[in-house]
Amino acid sequence: MTADRYARQVIHWGEENQQKIADAVIMIAGVGGLGATVSQLLVRAGVGKLYLVDDGIVDWPDLNRQLLYGEGDIDRQKLPLAKERLSAINSTTEISLIGGQVDKNFVMPTDLNAVADCLDNYSSRFLLDELTPEGVFLVHGGLEGDHGQVLTLQAGQSQPMSEIFAGACQPEGSIPVTPDNVVVIAGLMVNELFAILFGRPKLLNRCLVVSLADFHMAFLDV
Amino acid sequence: MIKVQFFSLLRMLLKQERIELSAIEGETVAQLLARLQKQLPTPFLHKLLDDDGRMHAGTIILVNRHNIHHLQGLQTPLNDNDVVAMFPPGAGG
Repeated sequence: MTADRYARQVIHWGEENQQKIADAVIMIAGVGGLGATVSQLLVRAGVGKLYLVDDGIVDWPDLNRQLLYGEGDIDRQKLPLAKERLSAINSTTEISLIGGQVDKNFVMPTDLNAVADCLDNYSSRFLLDELTPEGVFLVHGGLEGDHGQVLTLQAGQSQPMSEIFAGACQPEGSIPVTPDNVVVIAGLMVNELFAILFGRPKLLNRCLVVSLADFHMAFLDV
Repeated sequence: MIKVQFFSLLRMLLKQERIELSAIEGETVAQLLARLQKQLPTPFLHKLLDDDGRMHAGTIILVNRHNIHHLQGLQTPLNDNDVVAMFPPGAGG
């Protein structure tokens, strides 16, 4: 029964919070490693509407961690594939596609509850943060090798991301990313997105630093 | 005291999360780093600074939550009870 779709999670967080998820509008910036999993978890949980932003095509090095795509998708555009796969999981989520990059000409939707920063470079992240409408929460995720971080900012209230991460490195060439770390960081991002929708963010101005190398987590206040 | 926190790869390299040092009046971040290096058994300054003492891209240094890029850089003065955090964030996604 479709009515039973959310039965197991409603036992945990209740009907009122399930309704908050159903009413939520979230933008996923980047539908690669983090974005493919973040969007899938949100759709499975019953989020009302997603905006997906990306301009990439599926390539072989994506397949180790970008869970919405497979071998038959090589050289195809990610966004229509993502919409097809996500809609097959849950047809009740409205999905809007925004092709293109986050650049200075990017126009943010105006009906957002939250933004998920699933991008893979700091210059685009800084722009995304700058463009996020006042009061809207942005959940940042980033990772490299065995390490990663999740941080929530609220536009107009938090320090700009460009100030917090000034001097952060954008390595030349490919960044090491593994499927396990991507899923861990994406899962933490979604947990934080739920917390925001439920009115109690846990990582507002507080970066959760995760190391899979020794299963260590620590908070860095910003 | 000045509290110094190490995150991610720096924590792994140094095998410790934090250290407290007595505050020295007028000390800058650069001077604190040099003092830290004398105190810690593992070489780490090369991860932060080049041969001319300028910061590499990669690790951010926050003093009381503010990136030193927006303060006075390595010449940012420190005071008693300051919290200095060093963190090389991941860039991938």
